[in-house]
Amino acid sequence: MWPMIAAAAITMALIHLGVWMLNRGTISHLLFACMALSIAGFNICELGLMRAQTVADYVVWHFSAHLAAFFVLVSLVWFVRSHLGTGRLWLAWALTAVRGVVLMIEGVLPYGVNFSEITAMREVRLGIARIFLPVGSSGALSRFAEASLFVCMLYVLDAAVCAWRQGNRRRAAIVGGGIVFFVLLGALNAVLTHTGLVQIPYVTSFAFLGVLACLGYELTADVVNAASLTHRLQVREAELRESQQLAGLAAGAAKLGFLVWDRLRGGIWFSKNGRALFGWSEEESVDFSRFRDAIHPEDRPLVEQAIGETLERSGEYEQEYRIVKSDGSIRWIHSRGLAEKNGNGLPARMSGVVMDITGDKQAQIELGQQRDELAHLSRVTTVSALSGSLAHELNQPLGIILSNAQAAQELLIQDPPALNDVGEILSDIVAADRRAAEIIQRLRSLLKRGETSMQPLALNELLEEVLHLTRSDLIGRGVIAACDFARDLPPVAGTRVQIQQVALNLILNAADAMVDNAPGTRRLHIATSRLDDAVRVTVRDGGIGLPADTERLFQAFYTTKPNGLGMGLAICRSIIAAHNGRVWAEPHPERGAIFHFELPVAVAKVSP
Amino acid sequence: MSTEQGVVYVLDDEPEMVKALMRLLRAKQFDVRVFTSAQAFLEACRPEDVACLVLDVAMPELDGLTLQKRLTHRGLLLPIVFLTGHGDIPMSVRAIKAGATDFLAKPVDAVALVRAVRAALEVARARHETVAETAALASRLATLTPREFEVMRHVVAGKLNKQIAADLGTVEQTVKVHRGRVMEKMAVASVADLVRATERLGIGKAES
Repeated sequence: MWPMIAAAAITMALIHLGVWMLNRGTISHLLFACMALSIAGFNICELGLMRAQTVADYVVWHFSAHLAAFFVLVSLVWFVRSHLGTGRLWLAWALTAVRGVVLMIEGVLPYGVNFSEITAMREVRLGIARIFLPVGSSGALSRFAEASLFVCMLYVLDAAVCAWRQGNRRRAAIVGGGIVFFVLLGALNAVLTHTGLVQIPYVTSFAFLGVLACLGYELTADVVNAASLTHRLQVREAELRESQQLAGLAAGAAKLGFLVWDRLRGGIWFSKNGRALFGWSEEESVDFSRFRDAIHPEDRPLVEQAIGETLERSGEYEQEYRIVKSDGSIRWIHSRGLAEKNGNGLPARMSGVVMDITGDKQAQIELGQQRDELAHLSRVTTVSALSGSLAHELNQPLGIILSNAQAAQELLIQDPPALNDVGEILSDIVAADRRAAEIIQRLRSLLKRGETSMQPLALNELLEEVLHLTRSDLIGRGVIAACDFARDLPPVAGTRVQIQQVALNLILNAADAMVDNAPGTRRLHIATSRLDDAVRVTVRDGGIGLPADTERLFQAFYTTKPNGLGMGLAICRSIIAAHNGRVWAEPHPERGAIFHFELPVAVAKVSP
Repeated sequence: MSTEQGVVYVLDDEPEMVKALMRLLRAKQFDVRVFTSAQAFLEACRPEDVACLVLDVAMPELDGLTLQKRLTHRGLLLPIVFLTGHGDIPMSVRAIKAGATDFLAKPVDAVALVRAVRAALEVARARHETVAETAALASRLATLTPREFEVMRHVVAGKLNKQIAADLGTVEQTVKVHRGRVMEKMAVASVADLVRATERLGIGKAES
């Protein structure tokens, strides 16, 4: 039976030695192998002890057994430390030292540490086998050796409890429980044999086999785990390859270029498509300054600013800009990216996608031009409709100038000429002249083509200008306009003339709606208000009201006026949409209509 | 340095306009009073003054034509010279029909304005005179006895004393006496004058 134990132990030792050699990091396996080999050795010694017929032989085998035991216990202690990761270091060293001392004592004393004397060997029958047991008494130092075993157990228990607390419950239970149980068994056997209370030989190696079984199971579990992990890893790798292929296909189809910018090392990797987009060859190395130089000079500051902001806050980035290819041609690029920070909080990486949108951009620009044309025509029409009132607006300052001048003429021909008031008269003339010039200037700017150019606009001021323009018209129609402007409105980005056109349209529509109201009930209310990231303008009237389906109003060629074209609101919507805002209508709860339009607050980043 | 007869009120919602007109009219020796709100003007205006009003048609709160109606309602005999920046024909026709003296377009030339203001003041004077005269006649009428009143009515119907006597059931001599008193009290020299006076007062002639 003993040989079987030895064989089993050696087998396990070899397996785990193999594992250790394949993967040098797993010291636990090495320690286990050491332990298993030592147990095999101890096992052989036990056999030898049982066959020893003379006391001298017995003593030699006993020493060998202790030697093996030393290695078993020491590798056990360090195995626990390595596998569980817990166990007090000082205690581990102490135990190692103590067992070393025990071993030395064993070697020095004539009968070893456990026996104070052995007088003879006694033959005993154990089943069909003949074994020999020592006859003698146990030594005082035996207790010392046994105590060291006990301390070893405490160490293992302590390590197991620590591991349990840390959450490694299974490991703690198997390793700790297993060791403690089997070693106690072995210790019991040792005590019984030494004291001679029960006539049995050392069968400690059985116990140790138990320990090996537990620990072996533990380690094997690790190996199995590792195997399943490897399998999962392979599956994942396969999936990754597949998705990379798909991405590559998609990129190829859409002519997308990929880029990865390693900020810490400086270089930018570009995919084949990406390089082709910029007109770079496959071999050229690209860094950030190379990339920056390729950007169109007008767009460069904005792009740099946007990239800087994205790196700061480590988020997403989207930008459209022009590049100048190496052959000099200009292309429009749409670029999206993601910035990541590393563990130290520094911006480490930016990965992104670039796409050539020159074709789309051209179409967009043309569309924008057509929209501008249409808006211009509509504006001219509206302004023409106002021409009567505008003439009146001009006649006021002209009248002031004429009457003042003629008054001055009268004063100058008096005898003596009354010069006192002439100075004031001339100041008033100048002021009136300026006023007239302003009206004409506004008129001209409205009638101009007005290409789209996004500027920060102060809406309150803009609306007041429009009200100035329509003042005479509104008075003529008996409409009273009331304003309720929010204070400290943030500027919105827009083309001044176009937003004025929208406001003009809404105001004139409101006046038209009230044409059948009784005089004195034609009230127009204009308000501005601030929302989170937008500004809202509201135009309210007490007129004829709206149809149930308010969205129809904004369709082209929808009109309720006999001579109307029906384009006004459609153009308004088109203008507001081009400004990333929205315009809509709702019926007034009491009487009339409410029109709103919202525009986003201007951010520092304004698109080219 | 003589000022022209009568007060010129100027009403326009724009202060600069009002100032300019005031300077011009004062330089032309008119007695000018200016207002920028219809309310203020209505409070300050005195019916007994010989006055005219230079008025801007398009004012936000109370438009010129409405004001004209209101003045007429109050019985203010104020001729109005309208000023307009529009040059709108239908509006001018409406204004004239409602009794405006003139309708001028801004910018208004000094000569045209002065002429219109003078004409308006003339009209004002004439109206006041008429009113005064009618008032005088009315007070004289009040002094007639009922009998004398009846006789007067028959006289202006063109009847002879004999006929009047027959109609009223009295003698010719009595009629002659009444007739004489009527002519005296009414301060007229001829029957023709008497007829004009009664027409002024709106008294109908007696039926045959």
